[in-house]
Amino acid sequence: MIHLSAFVAYVGALVPWVYLLLRGPRPNVVAVASGLTVVAVLLHAMATVDFWLTYDQLPLGGLAPALSSLALVGGVALVAVLPLREAGRIALGLLPLLVALEGGALLLGIEPSPMDLGFRGAGFVLHVALAFLGLQGLAVAFAAGLLYLIQHHELKMKRLGRLSRFIPPLATLEKVGRVGLTVGFVSLSLALVLGWAWTVQNLGSLRIDDPKVIWAVLSWAVFVAIFAARRGPGSSEYRGALAAVIGFAVVVGTYLAFRLTAVGTGLFL
Amino acid sequence: MSLPLAVVGVSHETAPVEIREQVAYGVEEARSALLALRSDLAADEAVLLSTCNRTEAYIFPATRERTRAVRLRLFRQRIGGIDGDPAPYAFEKWGADAAGHLLSVTAGLDAMVTGEAEIQGQVRDALELARSVPATPSLAGPVLNRLFQTALAAGGQVRSETRIGEGTASVASVAVELAGKIFGSLHGKRILVLGAGMTGELILTALAREGVQSVAVANRTYDRAVHLARKHHGQAVPFERISNILATVDIVLSSTAAPHPVLTRAILTESFNEPRRRPLLVIDLAIPRDVDPAVGDEPGVFLYNVDDLRSIVEEHVQLREEAIPEARSVLAEHRRTFLAWHASREVVPVIRAMRERATRVKESELGRLFARLAGLEPEERALVEEFARRFQNKLLHAPTVRLKKGMAEGSGPELVEIVRFLYGIGDETARSGGGSRSDPHSAAGDADAGGSLRDGSLQKQPDADGHGSASGGTENLNRSAPR
Repeated sequence: MIHLSAFVAYVGALVPWVYLLLRGPRPNVVAVASGLTVVAVLLHAMATVDFWLTYDQLPLGGLAPALSSLALVGGVALVAVLPLREAGRIALGLLPLLVALEGGALLLGIEPSPMDLGFRGAGFVLHVALAFLGLQGLAVAFAAGLLYLIQHHELKMKRLGRLSRFIPPLATLEKVGRVGLTVGFVSLSLALVLGWAWTVQNLGSLRIDDPKVIWAVLSWAVFVAIFAARRGPGSSEYRGALAAVIGFAVVVGTYLAFRLTAVGTGLFL
Repeated sequence: MSLPLAVVGVSHETAPVEIREQVAYGVEEARSALLALRSDLAADEAVLLSTCNRTEAYIFPATRERTRAVRLRLFRQRIGGIDGDPAPYAFEKWGADAAGHLLSVTAGLDAMVTGEAEIQGQVRDALELARSVPATPSLAGPVLNRLFQTALAAGGQVRSETRIGEGTASVASVAVELAGKIFGSLHGKRILVLGAGMTGELILTALAREGVQSVAVANRTYDRAVHLARKHHGQAVPFERISNILATVDIVLSSTAAPHPVLTRAILTESFNEPRRRPLLVIDLAIPRDVDPAVGDEPGVFLYNVDDLRSIVEEHVQLREEAIPEARSVLAEHRRTFLAWHASREVVPVIRAMRERATRVKESELGRLFARLAGLEPEERALVEEFARRFQNKLLHAPTVRLKKGMAEGSGPELVEIVRFLYGIGDETARSGGGSRSDPHSAAGDADAGGSLRDGSLQKQPDADGHGSASGGTENLNRSAPR
């Protein structure tokens, strides 16, 4: 029920952001949009705590709980960005993603996984939390990158209309994207090291044929590719934004491909 | 009872700039003019609003004679070559229209560029100036103070709730907005100015205001480059060395008189020792163009010529004009509130007069009664007095309540007139809440300005907002001379 409330609040928070895009800046509406976003994330956090108290485990195992927790990490990242004035408008890129993740989790049913997880305890929680933070760092970079490309296009087309005025300046988007990528890359790297260490210690060797491992390493490689694109010759800011958008699409696309083709285990992958 | 308010002024709609600049008042001049309005013309309340687009005096209470005198005093001596009345360049508005005019001006609806925001501060300054004039009572008295506060609140609401102020509406401000959309903050950004033209300098000044720090100026005439660079704490650069600077700047502002492009894609790419990573904004104000259009194809380079900037300005102006009806409805609401407030000021003295009259009648009749019933015991007299007091109160209760209710519902002025007529209450009670100095011309002025119930001319007139107005009117002095 609390998850449903959080989902409704996410959708409700999206409405004033879209209104702002369509009607132009209104300080009161910005306050309402920001407030609703915060309320949605608080409700989501309450739902997570409720899950923990009810099942004596964090919602990390199983597809639906994992999707929901991934959304929560994104929500927290968004709330952290909101006070940065115009940067908060990446909500327009990030909120639909959170709505999709939480909506998907609700459709699947947010229940604990029946599978017995070998990897348990604080190490597991840290591993998953870092991995989610990594993915949400990429999601923030994606949202900022997408808005960067739209803003860049508007400015190149010599339009300074409502869309352009709503979207933050290129420099702001570049900065948000860079921070998202850096935080995401460090977090995902730590998550991979933690997972690799546990696997080697407990199972003897890294299972490189495990879809989770393949996908996680691929995601890490995507980060590396985006950084490489940002450092190449030419207009690196533009290419960095483009790479973040493509990279995020690759990560999501690969995940969906694995889900559709690999034999489901009931876990995240 | 109409609102005895008038505005007399000269604006961009009635006078060309040569006239407006003659009648513009500096702060000290405005202070002296306001003092003169009080001492010479006995104006209770007066505020003078003087900007580059308008000089307007708001007078309360206003009469035809006083308004004419204000017009002559403020404008005749200043407009050179005009003998007699400066009416051809002036306008007057009365009553509710005058109030509506200030609201419209403050919201930027009467500005040369619709939605211009600077006027809000100028209106606030005008009110502050009137407050600061050493006159007792203050020239920014209760009515004008309330009117100006209403106008400022309405202007703020219009700007926050409608699109009237959306976008920027001058070439210089568009350039600043573009730079902001690319770089965010302009603090510490570097700019290269090619040529030393007027428009270029205007934009440079606007950018410098936003924090652009390092300025390099290149001009064919080196001395002019030095002059402009000094003015903006920058450095002059020989024109042939611009390629050395290009790689380090964020903004290029070009306005040379060269007959051919001075900045080509080849020059730009050659100037970059290594691939450019950050954006470059190039603003080409010259005709013929200084910058080869192919420069805009370079990744990360945003090229705007003067037509691009103008087309953005036109787009923004159109957006603002689309918001005018919405803005007008916001203003109409504020105007109604102000008029209701003013009307409510009139009801208090009318009620007081009504009660005083009833009390006088009661006392007189009780006196006559007690003279005939001399044998009444004190208790009996007290009972009779109590009866008379209660009778009077009950009789006046309903009209008092309904009068107040009528004020709140907007039909106050008519009700006040009816009560004054029925009870024979004199005009003096309705003047400025009865607390202001008397005005020998006010009754005539009121009738002239908006009519009254007694002369049968108080009709709801559609105003500029399309709403009924219980009083007021506009006189275009270009077309009709004052009576």
